[in-house]
Amino acid sequence: MNRLDDAAVVETLRRHMSVAAAREMVAASNIANLNTPGYKAREVDFEVTLDRHLGGALRLAGADPGHLAGPDGGGDEQAGSGVRIREIADGQAQRDGNTVQLERELLAMGRAAGDFAQAQTALAAKFKLLRYAINEGR
Amino acid sequence: MPSTLAAAINASASALAAERTRVEVAVSNIANAESTRGPDGGPYRRRQVVLAPDASSGFDGALGQAIGVRVADIRQDDSRFEMRYEPTHPDADEDGWVRIPNIDTSEEMVDVIGASRAYQANLAAINIIRDMIQRALELART
Repeated sequence: MNRLDDAAVVETLRRHMSVAAAREMVAASNIANLNTPGYKAREVDFEVTLDRHLGGALRLAGADPGHLAGPDGGGDEQAGSGVRIREIADGQAQRDGNTVQLERELLAMGRAAGDFAQAQTALAAKFKLLRYAINEGR
Repeated sequence: MPSTLAAAINASASALAAERTRVEVAVSNIANAESTRGPDGGPYRRRQVVLAPDASSGFDGALGQAIGVRVADIRQDDSRFEMRYEPTHPDADEDGWVRIPNIDTSEEMVDVIGASRAYQANLAAINIIRDMIQRALELART
């Protein structure tokens, strides 16, 4: 294993935590607006976010200049993080136009927290190894 | 990333304040369900909280930020007063009818329950996020 691999692992885990934090933020916003008339529930657009983090590897390539570009989906972007946020498409609106479903959001929060904890545990283990190496195994 | 979580906590905290306002207003409505002399001389009028999304509670002014909630307005419900026949009441008109506030107590109770459930949900969200921040800080201690 070389140093570059270690850096890549740490970077991947860092991104994992960033995306989990963004998912948590979006779910928290949705829960906060549980009773706001007309509020549209949002979610992190997983595919676009993954694509950004892979450096555009998933983007549709046009074989001919005349081809239309793939849909960009539309949505907000969190500054600098490559996380794309969009409105939930199949949201069932209540009578006041609000599309937040509490169960869905609580589930999303639990999942994001689990992912975050997972990455954090792995990252902590990684750092521990690093410290072990720095201290020459003492 | 920490500011993402901080913004999430801010959004949830704004919701706690908004839901508390809803409970306060609904409880004042229930308390004044029989108040025939309000501040303007007439019977007490029902008050309603109007909530609106609040994007400014986020840290960065950019798009895709946390969206909190704020109390946009506390509005008076101008629907008609109920009339009750009670000739001995001091506020009865010459025909013996008393105007009583336009408040349906059971409706207000539903509002109180809804607001307190939403309050609990936001509190749960804050606890989850707080644990995440705690975990992130633990990385510095390994």
